[in-house]
Amino acid sequence: MDRNKEIGIVAYGETKIDFKTGRSAYDLASEVFEQILNKTGLEPKDIDGLAVSETMSETNNPFYSVYMAEMLGITPRWNQVTGLGGASTIANIARAHSAIRDGYCETVLVIAADAQSSMMGGGAEQGAQRYEFQYPIGLRGPVGVFGLLTQRYRHLYNLKDEALAKLAVTQRNHALLNENAYEKLRKPITEQDYLSSKVISDPLRMLDSVMVCDGANGVLVTTKKNAQRLGLNKMIFPVAYSEISNYTGSDFSAEITDTGFEVVGPEVLRKAGMTVKDVRMLQAYDDFFIALMLVMEGVGFCERGCASDFILANDFSFNGTLPLNTGGGQISSGQAGLAGGGTNFVEAVRQMFEEGGVRQIPSPNNALVTGIGMIPYGRNWGVSNALILEA
Amino acid sequence: METSKTAQSSKKPEVKKIPRPMPRPNMYMNTGPFWEGCQEKKLLIQQCPKTGKYQFFPRPGSLYSGKRDTVWKEVSGNGVVYSWTNTFSAWPGHEERLPYICAYVELPEGVRILCNIFNCSSADMHIGMPVKLYWEELENNTLYPAFQPA
Repeated sequence: MDRNKEIGIVAYGETKIDFKTGRSAYDLASEVFEQILNKTGLEPKDIDGLAVSETMSETNNPFYSVYMAEMLGITPRWNQVTGLGGASTIANIARAHSAIRDGYCETVLVIAADAQSSMMGGGAEQGAQRYEFQYPIGLRGPVGVFGLLTQRYRHLYNLKDEALAKLAVTQRNHALLNENAYEKLRKPITEQDYLSSKVISDPLRMLDSVMVCDGANGVLVTTKKNAQRLGLNKMIFPVAYSEISNYTGSDFSAEITDTGFEVVGPEVLRKAGMTVKDVRMLQAYDDFFIALMLVMEGVGFCERGCASDFILANDFSFNGTLPLNTGGGQISSGQAGLAGGGTNFVEAVRQMFEEGGVRQIPSPNNALVTGIGMIPYGRNWGVSNALILEA
Repeated sequence: METSKTAQSSKKPEVKKIPRPMPRPNMYMNTGPFWEGCQEKKLLIQQCPKTGKYQFFPRPGSLYSGKRDTVWKEVSGNGVVYSWTNTFSAWPGHEERLPYICAYVELPEGVRILCNIFNCSSADMHIGMPVKLYWEELENNTLYPAFQPA
């Protein structure tokens, strides 16, 4: 990826996030596809590249991305399926950019859809060591892992509950303004509601956590030349990307509060020629609020262990100093299964197209979007990535 | 946009009782020596002969050299709590155990083990607490490594 701004995003689509829709990932993806075709005036035959994210609901199909092409009516000359969990969508932006740059295709549909709360496709199983060393213990999946992570962070640093509560209220206020958020989460909450919510994996609370839902989102990536030919006048540009998997994977003495964002955060800013002070909005993968704190520290918004004070000192609302997850994030709009990695990304695109409506960020000239994927054994998460978009 | 919902969405899923997941040895590699050790109340973990470093959970080869020459070494199992969580929402099959404590225990060999902690109330749990092995007896007399206060 480079800063020449020759390849960019010209359209986006998103379904409403909902619980147990009984729909399939294909059906949800089709809804996003139709929106993108309507906005661009393109037909399926005009799209020659496809990048999809792996799912929880369909991943037992080893040919998922080819089925998706068949289902939507696309004949891709470049077809990519990416299994990096919640990091997949922005990873696919980088991969689509490379494919277009190298001439494999010109117009790529980057799409993520999952029906995890309905599991219409039968469901995925991660297997590997889990049957021997995780499932018999009863660790409650991501909730358990993030409970352990939060406990360790609290032991090492000054974790302030009021900072977590502030994030919960800020994101919920954003979801109230987002018609695509899961309807049952579109109810106001107070900081006290957060503090008194049920503890599910001590010290993690119910309102620290995402709720698994169904949903889909996607964008169209093409060349500036093609966009001009098609008369598409809204275009934003991915200018820097950084990704790491299995960070500290072979260093058993590493603190579990050390995350891959300590690598990819500073690197993506350097590649974009920016500092944290230049970031106009932060659309950060949020499965649990403690993850946002570790992302802020890793990227360098504040020193290690100081996220609580940084959060209490800043205004993260859409019209604040550092707008954060302005669609409500996954925590307040619902997690569209493994398509959830696209939720905050599509919100960044929407904001930069100045289509944010009542929650529009003023002067949305850039965005830092982050992804997190996969829950490994004994650490924090398996994949960290970061993307910078510029107008 | 109005969308069609299928018949499945209106059906409530049947409540079916899931048994506690039992360890399934040799799912992804030969972990046999680990499980044989457990049945003799011995904790065996892998060591890389080239670097002398340990690794856990078991891997097909050394994480440090890539060579498939790791050896199984018995360790004391005396460690400290690295982090812990009291679980109030069960992983499927563990409902009847609620609440239960999951922890990472750090061993002197430099690895951490995900485990349950027994014989300790959550009020007494703390990071840095010394622990020793506790052999939990699962179904079919299978012994599974857990920890308790030392």
